[in-house]
Amino acid sequence: MIDTWIAFARGPLFRVALAVCLLGLVYRVGNTLWQIRSSHRQAGDKRLDTSTVFKATVNGLLPFRLLKVRPLYTIASIGFHLGILLVPLFYIGHVTLWQASLPLAWPTLGPAAGDALTLIGITGLVFVLLGRLLIRASRDLTAHEDVAILIFLIFLMASGYWAAHATSSPFDPRAMLLIHLLLGNLALILTPLTKIVHCVLGPLTQLLSEIAWHFPAEAGRSVATVLGKENEPI
Amino acid sequence: MAIQCSYYMEDVETRELPRRFLEAFSTILSHSNYAPLVDAAARMKLRCSRCAVSCPVYQASAERRDIPCDRSELLLKVYRRYFTVGGNLGARFGRPFVLTEDYINRMAEEFYRCTACRRCKLECPMGVDHGLITRLGRWTLAEVGITPKALVVATREQLDGKTHNTSAIPAPAMQDTCEFLEEDCADLYGMRIKFPIDVEGAEYVFFPAVSDYLLEPDTLMGNAAVMTATGGSWTIGTQNFDGINYGLFYSDRLLDRIVSAEVDEVRRLEGKKILIGECGHASRTAKVFVPTFCGEDAPPVLNIMEYTYAQWKAGKLKLEPDVIKERVTYHDPCNVARSGWITEQPREILRHICADFVEMTPNRSENYCCGGGGGTVSIDEIREFRTKTGGKAKADQIRATGAQICVAPCANCKKQLAEVCEDHGLDVKICGLHDLILKAIDPPESMRIAESDAEAPGQANAAEEA
Repeated sequence: MIDTWIAFARGPLFRVALAVCLLGLVYRVGNTLWQIRSSHRQAGDKRLDTSTVFKATVNGLLPFRLLKVRPLYTIASIGFHLGILLVPLFYIGHVTLWQASLPLAWPTLGPAAGDALTLIGITGLVFVLLGRLLIRASRDLTAHEDVAILIFLIFLMASGYWAAHATSSPFDPRAMLLIHLLLGNLALILTPLTKIVHCVLGPLTQLLSEIAWHFPAEAGRSVATVLGKENEPI
Repeated sequence: MAIQCSYYMEDVETRELPRRFLEAFSTILSHSNYAPLVDAAARMKLRCSRCAVSCPVYQASAERRDIPCDRSELLLKVYRRYFTVGGNLGARFGRPFVLTEDYINRMAEEFYRCTACRRCKLECPMGVDHGLITRLGRWTLAEVGITPKALVVATREQLDGKTHNTSAIPAPAMQDTCEFLEEDCADLYGMRIKFPIDVEGAEYVFFPAVSDYLLEPDTLMGNAAVMTATGGSWTIGTQNFDGINYGLFYSDRLLDRIVSAEVDEVRRLEGKKILIGECGHASRTAKVFVPTFCGEDAPPVLNIMEYTYAQWKAGKLKLEPDVIKERVTYHDPCNVARSGWITEQPREILRHICADFVEMTPNRSENYCCGGGGGTVSIDEIREFRTKTGGKAKADQIRATGAQICVAPCANCKKQLAEVCEDHGLDVKICGLHDLILKAIDPPESMRIAESDAEAPGQANAAEEA
């Protein structure tokens, strides 16, 4: 019975989840790029300092500045992102699954590297979760969704690890595999719909911030007209 | 219910306030370029609190409401609820967030606790510009009549008043001040300077922060001394001589009108370039938004520090080395330093003319705001918040340098830092860059006044006292 569910989760369910994820992400990125293009076209000053935007994007994604202030939190964050990005995309077991649905080939990570990155990812997630709960500023801002997603990712990675280590797993490895597949599929579906969408929108936000400062020349006058304030004194 | 904040406001019409707020928000998003950023930020909901590390206001207050991304969340929450499909669906099936007068009141208070220094953007992993979202919130509030009275009154005088400037200085009074300054400079420094008024066809039309005419005579004398020593072709227009632009702090449409009025004055005088005095936000608004609002043939914009530096490097301006003996430090105004635009020019000059120049840390594009940015310096009733909370990081920085003089080439920063030093018990003199340049200029012969013709500095004061 469980093998039937595993086959379902690896087959049709995975393909549906992958389609939702890819279509959702393509829509989000496409929509954002379209908005950037439209904004740029209506900007009063179209000159863009793209090199500064690029540098800011790289600086934002590699938070070396923050290492000085919150070293543990920053290292944990980097570790968890490395695990959560590299293992799904490059671990050999996952690549086999991807390639059953996608006619593409790319380099893979072996079991040892996959294990190491998984453990780094889980450790990072645990520390980020602790940071969320223990650092005052983070705790103040943390919503239920933030905690739920971190716990969800911990379960996702831990179930994958135990599924891949049948002999040392304290749980039934087939059950772990099924849970991992179901959580993985759910993660794919949630990616474009939740804050996880920052994996594709994040690199574009520096550009969005920059373009937002490039005001349309008519913006103020148009707003005044629509609100009926053209002749209203200050 | 009346809207009440820690700053004074003119009467706010509260009838259908939430509906009017949403209408204004929707209209602004439709006609500006804010929507893509707001949409992305609303979806990503990062709230990682990295920005808290960089915000000087939060570092001093430790209040949640001062965390930049929490402040942005105030507006993003409205966007999510009323402007996204998910928000509308959620409202049908759950307990929806509802925009109320109370909530708008909270935004009105919190958006003016931000100094718009944009230091938080350096830390945000996603590059969300919380200063920009604060501006958007303020603009939306302004369209429903919620803005600090100090900003509204000044802008009203500048755009709709008789004097066309934020300090309500009549043009004849400005001209009188310039004449006094010419005499003072001759008396105190033995230099003949000139403030050319309404000269047509000049290379530069000069727009200092108008408050300099009231509060910063040494800065203005320094500006004029540099222009005179270098033979600069410049003028001050009597129809518009104010570089201040509070539109930057709360309304894009007023920002547009003020910038356009500056360009109109340049065109009236057939000038070629806009020269902005020592003022951070005046410089940034002109530099960034003249090309935005005034077309491709808009005049180029230069800050006076750029002009002075270029002339000094070209050998047209002579400055005596090590003239200033006291320990001097330099405060980077956010509006010219955050982007890296003007950071090295003043430092090179100061290292030359000061015997003991020390840096405060952090500096340049990572500097701390003076605590009075975003227009808050003009709101006298929140002085305690501005100096004790917003200005605490800067006070600590200045104290650590042990400097006796802090150079702040910005009218807003100077006013704020003077109050910060006073409220933190710091015995530090705050001045502009050109105040010190004035003392270091080695003027050409044509500018020198023979000693027999001029009073010694002490004599002028003695004569006044007598």
